[in-house]
Amino acid sequence: MLINKIFLFFKREAKLFYSNIADLFSNILFFFLSIFIFVFALGADEQLLRNVGMGIIWSLLLLSSTLSLRKFYEDDFNNSVIKIIHMGGISYELIVFLKILSHFFFVQIPFLASIPIACVFFNLPINEVYNLILTFIIGSFILSCLGSISASMNLLNKTNFSIGSLIVLLFFIPVIIFSIGTNNSESDFNSLISLLLGIALIFLGISPWSSAAFIKLALRNK
Amino acid sequence: MFNFLINPYKFNKFVDIIFKPLVILTLLVLIAGLFLVYFSPLDYQQGLTVKIMYIHVPSAWLALLTYAIMTIYSIIGLAFKIPFSFIINKAIAPIGAVFTILCLFSGSMWGKPMWGTWWVWDARLTSVAILFIVYLLIIFLNHAFENREVREKTIAIFILIGSINLPIIKFSVDWWNTLHQPASISKLASPSIDISMLQPLLVMTVAFSLVGLIIAILRIKAEILMRKNYL
Repeated sequence: MLINKIFLFFKREAKLFYSNIADLFSNILFFFLSIFIFVFALGADEQLLRNVGMGIIWSLLLLSSTLSLRKFYEDDFNNSVIKIIHMGGISYELIVFLKILSHFFFVQIPFLASIPIACVFFNLPINEVYNLILTFIIGSFILSCLGSISASMNLLNKTNFSIGSLIVLLFFIPVIIFSIGTNNSESDFNSLISLLLGIALIFLGISPWSSAAFIKLALRNK
Repeated sequence: MFNFLINPYKFNKFVDIIFKPLVILTLLVLIAGLFLVYFSPLDYQQGLTVKIMYIHVPSAWLALLTYAIMTIYSIIGLAFKIPFSFIINKAIAPIGAVFTILCLFSGSMWGKPMWGTWWVWDARLTSVAILFIVYLLIIFLNHAFENREVREKTIAIFILIGSINLPIIKFSVDWWNTLHQPASISKLASPSIDISMLQPLLVMTVAFSLVGLIIAILRIKAEILMRKNYL
């Protein structure tokens, strides 16, 4: 049964996640530490911090979740688990899709809990916190898809790994623009959320196909 | 007839015939263009700084044209599995990067006296800066992978995804309210630029594209030779 296999896949991902939970905590610690550094660098002016808060939190969320991209496929690829799962009857496209979902649940959702705490440091008004959380739920899914593409692209890249993070940052620019735009009183909230959801749907379509193509290419040239 | 565009052997033969006349033609056009720029009239508002336009506009056009050529060759290379297109992708990416940085640099030199600032975060400037970053990433990707097949296909897919930026650059001055002025030349019926300034601009554009073409030919020939030795 396919459902059974998918359930087992998630079980394995959860076990791996709990064995590496210190990694996640250090990512969140990176997030908070860089917020502190930003505040020290800008000075403790409350009005200034309130104005720039959402932008800083968004960009630091982006940076700290790119830290964990390296682990996306590399371990499974190096010990050939990805090939064994494929032999079990799951296509590479479905593997990629399940990987994206598990990355979304196990890496991005824990950041959600830390967002309200981070907003307290900047004294953000409550409607901005709502906007931030809503846009982060959509944006982090896009981030998982992009991370899948860049990590699968980098499977055979031995020399220059940071280029994968660069590509994620580059293609995340429109998402940041639309997310910060929800705060702006002039712009239409619903249309921006629809745009974000549209981008998420596009990446949901593109990323399993392209990541699977990259993984197949890498397995052939391993 | 146009086989030389996809066949390295025919490309080499064709280029060997036209290369020397092309160099002479480029020199003539470049000298003529520089003379025309020297004798072109000053702007009644901008004075001498208007002559930055004769470098800024051609390099901007060629930055976009180079990326468009790379996009077309990526589609051809991925769809019809023609390896020559990957050679071209690798050879002309640095040329496009140089034209983009030339455009950004001259624009910033022009912006300081006219707008009073080196840089503003307006849509046209930002999207061209992103184009420069995309060019740099393409060049870095060329050095990143050891396996040739992976490298070429990755770069081609990356070029295709990055080509979303081209229409954004083109229409940014129409979609958003920017400090950068809208296009003056694109309206073919009646360009909103005077003929005495249009002539040197067009000649300089031809000269820039010929210079770019000569460098591209040399780089593509070198790339073909390198692959012959390695394969």
